[in-house]
Amino acid sequence: MVRGILAVLVLAAVAILGLVGCGDSGGGKEGGTLLGTYSSFPELDPGLAITQEAWIAMYNTYLPLLTYAHANGSAGSQVVPALAKGLPKISNGGKTYTLFLRPGLKYSNGEPVKPSDFRFAIERTIRLNSLGSPFYTNIVGAEEFQETKQGGIPGIKANDRTGEIVVDLVRPQGTFLNVLAMPFAAPLPESTPIEDLSSHPPAASGPYLIASVRSERSWEFERNPQWAKTNSKAMPDLPSGHVDKIKIDVVRNQATQVSDVEQGKYDWMENPPPPDQYNRIRQQFEGTQFRVEHTISTYYFWMNTTKPPFDDPKVRQAVNYAVNREALERIYAGQLIGSSQILPPGMPGYRKFDHYHYNLAKAKRMIAEANPSDTSVTVWTDNEPENQEAGEYYDGVLKEIGLKPTLKAINADNYFTVIGNQSTPDLDTGWSDWFQDYPHPSDFFQPLIGENIAPTSNLNIALMNDPELNQEVRRLGEQQLGPKQESEYAELDERYMEQAPWAPYGNRTVSTFISSAINLDNVVFNLTFGQDLTSFEFK
Amino acid sequence: MSADSAAATRGPWSLALRRFLRNRLAVAFLALFALIVVFVLAAPLWADQVAHTGPNTAHVLEKLSVNGQQRDVVTPQGEPIGPQWFEAGGRFFLGADSRLGRDEMVRLMYGGRISLLIGIVSGLITTLVAVILGLLAGFYKGWVDGLIARTMDVLWSLPVFLIGVAAGISMAVGGLKIGPLELHSGSIWAPILIISVFSIPYIGRAIRGEAMALSEKEFVEAAVAQGAGPPRLMFGEILPNLASTIVVFFALSVANNMLFEAGLSFLGAGVQPPNSSWGTMISSGVELLTTAPLLSIIPGAMIMLTVLSLNVVADGLRDALDPRAKVRLEAHAGMVEPEGAPV
Repeated sequence: MVRGILAVLVLAAVAILGLVGCGDSGGGKEGGTLLGTYSSFPELDPGLAITQEAWIAMYNTYLPLLTYAHANGSAGSQVVPALAKGLPKISNGGKTYTLFLRPGLKYSNGEPVKPSDFRFAIERTIRLNSLGSPFYTNIVGAEEFQETKQGGIPGIKANDRTGEIVVDLVRPQGTFLNVLAMPFAAPLPESTPIEDLSSHPPAASGPYLIASVRSERSWEFERNPQWAKTNSKAMPDLPSGHVDKIKIDVVRNQATQVSDVEQGKYDWMENPPPPDQYNRIRQQFEGTQFRVEHTISTYYFWMNTTKPPFDDPKVRQAVNYAVNREALERIYAGQLIGSSQILPPGMPGYRKFDHYHYNLAKAKRMIAEANPSDTSVTVWTDNEPENQEAGEYYDGVLKEIGLKPTLKAINADNYFTVIGNQSTPDLDTGWSDWFQDYPHPSDFFQPLIGENIAPTSNLNIALMNDPELNQEVRRLGEQQLGPKQESEYAELDERYMEQAPWAPYGNRTVSTFISSAINLDNVVFNLTFGQDLTSFEFK
Repeated sequence: MSADSAAATRGPWSLALRRFLRNRLAVAFLALFALIVVFVLAAPLWADQVAHTGPNTAHVLEKLSVNGQQRDVVTPQGEPIGPQWFEAGGRFFLGADSRLGRDEMVRLMYGGRISLLIGIVSGLITTLVAVILGLLAGFYKGWVDGLIARTMDVLWSLPVFLIGVAAGISMAVGGLKIGPLELHSGSIWAPILIISVFSIPYIGRAIRGEAMALSEKEFVEAAVAQGAGPPRLMFGEILPNLASTIVVFFALSVANNMLFEAGLSFLGAGVQPPNSSWGTMISSGVELLTTAPLLSIIPGAMIMLTVLSLNVVADGLRDALDPRAKVRLEAHAGMVEPEGAPV
């Protein structure tokens, strides 16, 4: 009898431990190996991870001090503590952030996570000349460090004994919580080499680690042994994941990916299905294996505001009237929702308006009135099929309103390098897009149409530099986001669109497409990080 | 006049023409090539009178009246309309090309003009440069030959297609400026130049070999004895004897260059959008291969037919211009005994 009671107690204890160890279960099976496909090999080094594809891999491997809630929709835009005990205390007029590291955390290699590792990670990002380094130049001393790569960043004080981390900023920065939640800021052991480690990713702190990599071909996630031992107990709010292993193969052909997922050879494809199969897949599998995911993104045509004919706001406004967003929705095969404003839906501060309802006759009239001195323009786009077609459509629109466009469609791999380099001749107008770095409206103004104009890697391609609007961007950027600021960002959106440096045309949707073996209802798509690998669970 | 004396009074070109016309296969394919040329030359006529649209005009949101019913040229889901043949009065005869809703037939005809133009112009440039270099190398021999032949060897040994793609992409971005020569990015002369340069060894090596052999012949020695200088020897004595080789290689070169252009354009390094060539049309059609396979198949078939017809015509020309070559080839294949072979 006693033996029977003991057996029941042991079984109950095992069951409880199992649940605690594995996080929330959606009622499916725990364990197993998830097989996924990417169409390209991403950066697997947190200091260099800049693409959405890389961020999916970073979300559950390299935890920053703060992260985003593992949730769908706007709930997933909430910044929550990760390695830090809580959200930072902000003092000194918004210029000092104080955080405390949770005690007892360990990397996957067994080394303890130390506050000074945060400083090391930021310095490493800057030393690597990562595209993420500009996010941290507001830290006191970071700009000098970026130039000299000598010494350290005095604005980050880390006390390994007390766990305290204090970050001093040059100016108040309303987005700094978001910046702290980027993978570039994820602490790494100080022994981590200052080089691209995509082929041998460093030790991880999240529920998964990247166990093996075959460069350009595949990589595998495994459970981080330290997660179950220590980290999950210290961070009980973060999910532990359901599957034991995740194997990702690079399959360049998206049609092959679709067929493999349909046949169950793979459980998930990171890319959306190719345009010619998108609607079939959507009709056949929506709700069971397929889901449309909205992104915080804006697709737009930029116009060089410093050179004729686009130095005249009237010409830029005319272009906005001439671009038919409905046509572009069709060009993107239903994977774009038309819009004529800078801020996308879902972004705090978004307030819908449509100042440029399609009116070709008005556009032609405005061009005739503006009578630009130079009508020859070069139109730039990349050669991704939809973007190239958007560029070709835009080329036709400009012709129709009386300009003389010449189209340049260049390789997508170096498109932004070329158009971001101001020595490139004839940067008149062209296609671009922007996906949020973080859910803060400043991310759509400050780097893209604020005063920052760089000779290379320039993001302000329209060369927009309006002192009044710049001042407003700066002022708002220094404040923490609240309802008042959101309303002011909505007004700023309208003010910019009166100047019309861009002709925005839509917000992109992506998709989650999985095999029938996976429970779609449980798959989380985080607006910042994409698919949350801890949410995949076999039925 | 007897038949023999009539034959004797005919010139070599007249005899070659008679031999060519007796080759029914070659004549049939010459007719096919002529048909293709007529087809592409009729592009403006079809565009104005039948399709009522230009090759680059988008019709994304337009509706088409098909047998009294209104149909989207591009559906809201981004699917282009399929071939309408004559159901819509010839409009969208082969359907729409992409989500831009451009008339595929009009683009096929205009694209063919560009493909043929690039093939023929680059063939001419290649042939001209190759003949000059081949003559110089074959006639002068020595260091001149060493320099030209080795340069052609280097060019021949390069991964031509990869370099062509790299050069094409580079010129598509920044154009090209060498002294007074300036090519704007997107210019049709960019692929022409790339194809011409990389195709030179193909003809140049053959011309050099023949020129070298011809320069040893008695008629050249006779001309030297009469005091002829190098220009007259090369262009007055040797060149006319290379005519048959040049004609044959030119035809083959046009065919090869069209394939080269198709490859470059397929990879985005040839003809630049929004203009079409058959290569770019295959490339853009690949994206819709599962739902609209004709968008790739038809331009592919046009390239195949054009290249095939040019190859067969070139074979026919070679047989007609140099009948001994045919006998040699057939002998090699064991079909007939070559002239003077020991019995």
